[in-house]
Amino acid sequence: MTTPILEVKGLRKLFRMKKGWLQQPHDVHALNGIDVSVYEGETLGIVGESGCGKSTLGKCILRLLEPVQGEIRFQGKEIGKMNKNEMRAVRRNMQMVFQNPFETLNPKLTIGHILTEPLISHGIPREQRQALLEETIEIVGMSKQHLSRYPHEFSGGQRQRIGIARALILRPKLIIADEPVSALDVSIQSQILNLLQDLQEQFSLTYVFISHDLSVVEHIADKVAVMYLGEIIEYAEKEKLFGRPLHPYTQALLSAKPITDPDDTREQIVLSGDLPSPSNPPKGCKFHPRCRSSMEICKVELPKLSEIEGQSVACHLYQSFPAIDPS
Amino acid sequence: MNEVSKTVAHGATHANSPIFPKLAFWEKIKKQRAAKLSLVVLLLISAIGIVGPWIAPYDPTESNYEAFLQGPSAKHVLGTDAIGRDLFSRILYGTRVTLVVAVMAVGITVSAGTMIGVISAYMGGFIDHLLMRIMDILLALPGIILALAIVAALGPSQTNAMIAIGISSIPSFARLIRAATLVIMSSGYVEASRSIGTPSWWIILFQVLPNITNVLFVYMTLFVGGAILDTAALGFIGLGAQPPTPEWGTMLNEGKDYLSDAWWLATYPGLAITIVVLAVNRLGDALRDIFDPRTQK
Amino acid sequence: MDNVLEVTGLTTRFSKESGTVTVVDQLDLHVKKGETLGIVGESGCGKSVTSLSLMRLLDDNATLTGSIRFNGKEVLALSEAEMRSLRGKEMAMIFQEPMHSLNPVLTIGRQISEVLHEHEDESKAAVKQRVLDLLTVVGISRAEEIYRDYPHRLSGGMRQRVMIAMAIACNPSLLIADEPTTALDVTIQAQILNLIKKIRRDIGMSVIMITHDLGVVAEVCDRVIVMYAGQAIETADVRSLLRNPKHPYTVGLLQSTPRQRTKRLHSIKGSVPTPENKPNGCRFAPRCDRAMAICWERNPVLRPVDQHSSCRCWLFTQDKDHEQESSVIGG
Repeated sequence: MTTPILEVKGLRKLFRMKKGWLQQPHDVHALNGIDVSVYEGETLGIVGESGCGKSTLGKCILRLLEPVQGEIRFQGKEIGKMNKNEMRAVRRNMQMVFQNPFETLNPKLTIGHILTEPLISHGIPREQRQALLEETIEIVGMSKQHLSRYPHEFSGGQRQRIGIARALILRPKLIIADEPVSALDVSIQSQILNLLQDLQEQFSLTYVFISHDLSVVEHIADKVAVMYLGEIIEYAEKEKLFGRPLHPYTQALLSAKPITDPDDTREQIVLSGDLPSPSNPPKGCKFHPRCRSSMEICKVELPKLSEIEGQSVACHLYQSFPAIDPS
Repeated sequence: MNEVSKTVAHGATHANSPIFPKLAFWEKIKKQRAAKLSLVVLLLISAIGIVGPWIAPYDPTESNYEAFLQGPSAKHVLGTDAIGRDLFSRILYGTRVTLVVAVMAVGITVSAGTMIGVISAYMGGFIDHLLMRIMDILLALPGIILALAIVAALGPSQTNAMIAIGISSIPSFARLIRAATLVIMSSGYVEASRSIGTPSWWIILFQVLPNITNVLFVYMTLFVGGAILDTAALGFIGLGAQPPTPEWGTMLNEGKDYLSDAWWLATYPGLAITIVVLAVNRLGDALRDIFDPRTQK
Repeated sequence: MDNVLEVTGLTTRFSKESGTVTVVDQLDLHVKKGETLGIVGESGCGKSVTSLSLMRLLDDNATLTGSIRFNGKEVLALSEAEMRSLRGKEMAMIFQEPMHSLNPVLTIGRQISEVLHEHEDESKAAVKQRVLDLLTVVGISRAEEIYRDYPHRLSGGMRQRVMIAMAIACNPSLLIADEPTTALDVTIQAQILNLIKKIRRDIGMSVIMITHDLGVVAEVCDRVIVMYAGQAIETADVRSLLRNPKHPYTVGLLQSTPRQRTKRLHSIKGSVPTPENKPNGCRFAPRCDRAMAICWERNPVLRPVDQHSSCRCWLFTQDKDHEQESSVIGG
């Protein structure tokens, strides 16, 4: 655990929105200075609600979207400035699993054809392809008879297995999984989560696991970053973050999650109001209009991510009095 | 995790069964009476186009100086023209001329239009802008005027008519294909391909093209109808197939001078054009209904 | 007991080109006054079709048999006109995606007023006041502003509040909520669930909560029906169901829910059968770890296991020999 396999520093992404041709375009800050790093074999969970920028972050890391600022280092190499060919070589080690297994498999191609695509794209010799195909489809728990079938013949869970096989077939080092189980039923979701964990062990994979579902992240991640409106507001090891959430937003998120315990007596923090629009975020701390511990300073100054006992949090509550008791 | 491999995948559970619905397609065609009729008519006309020369009772270019402007009779089913040629035979021969010109023209439109449309949508940015502005300029002229200009430049002949008609519909075809491609480009599986690092040619060939074939097929059919009309129009003004080739538009032109004395001369070629165009368009509409989920009830 | 809704032997079939498909099979349920009944199941279990059947909102290719008694009336015997006056007034429904149920070109105020006009005669000013009150009841603070706004300008959570306002406009005795929070973020989901609980208490209506999420069930329901492949497989009060689940499917579902403590999640093998390919015996048998020989042959019936719950499983049926005649049901 010397250098991280993936290191993101100060990543920014803007989307330029233009309403009418007479109006001034204005910028929406989808990502506002993101710093994260993942070590080999680890799982980094990224949680947040819709519009927090978690999917944008995943796509920026793979350069499916071009960030406007910041550094992305993969295996020590800065990939932000790489050209197409260099980037293709990097992609061999960095793959993605998508949320919707119904949309991300081309309905007109057989499973075999879909899985061959990465092999051809990365120049794997013809002789090796068939063996890899058969091996990989069996690793994800399907059989080689399935290779000649079309996506619509499979259930959602099976399609997600195919999506995972596609990401796995080049034996990458890092897999970015963008909500890989949120389109699936609970009983299928657990199959896929188990599969992902098995694969991680077998191939010593590193995951960036993006999800809105706290229980899923709690189950699979080693480190967790909580995002709110394009910023990481809390970042820590799983046990710390779920055991002692510091940021009021993390606390609210954790308490809002319905759990299957009828005798649950935890106090529920119900946030008032909606998520502000990312195109017009509040000044100061972006969470302050919904925060129950909001202070005067929160309305003016954006808190920086700072560390308290190995747990990073961006909140004024902890910046002036680092020793404060979170409860 | 291996139990699942033993469970057999279930049949299509989704309404928009994505694979090309070959069987379902015929089932649906069968249900639409007009479409079925159009299909039968078109098959019949295509058959005539192929075997017409063998079943025609007379040579279409040979004059019979004893039978000028004869009305329909047992000997000449649809009558004869001003120099005594058998109208029925001429229409039979003309079927082939019209169909060949129309189909070849649409072939030019489809191949060039698809290429421009797909490239434009795929590349985006400057190339998209450039190609589409050129298309816009061409679109500013009505198709037939553009065709006229091209024939005028190349000289009137059957081949040039074909090329002219083909080129004149490229802009609108390219725009339609570009729109269809843009939809596919925003789909999840194209994004997935890009994330893998797949080269563009693969994405175009295996992700885009198979998914726009339905649309392509529908537009193609609709364009055939237009091409037949354009062929006849060019023939009518003497810029298409040259006399004595029996071409429906040319025949219509020759017949128009005799409308008061020999009504059959213009009526039958006109009828032939109408029937074919109607059948093609009706079939095109039916295909659109079948392939486009938005028009389905 | 004071039952608002009593459903017996509800069966919903769809006629398709390939034949008839039974999506809901012999479902019995009842909802007491002021009670929240949860219907839980995964996609394809028939829970949404059940809710649409109760409202008779299905297309023409669906046939309903059995009996739906609502406030003493037989719903299946009502004419289409009677049904229309029942919907919205006595029995209301909210959906997963409120945007589909709101008209994009009418203001919020106009749409809620319309519901009121359809069912009650009141003056214009009175109606507007009622609408504003309703918006306040569902927790919309800027009611005047929202009254004049269009649906697309609202967030998902706000739209769902508006839908709830429309649903409760005529004080219905039953609200059917079909996955009302599935499309929403957790923090917004918590708001909406609290709102539904509060309104139920305040106006004393009954609620049928249809969901795939056992967490939501734990939060709001009193009693639960677990559905699998078109049939009720377990019904119990919420405590017993979550504390002491009987059916192997319910057990599996609860164990599949991710928790931090467990290293590996329990998972149910295979996937839900489609309505066209239902197994002959117990419908869960192919995915069940505890399946016995009899499970593959005959479908068990839903029968009481103890005073808290009923379950459709051979494991809880002691004298199997006497089951011969009743097991024919559902095949």
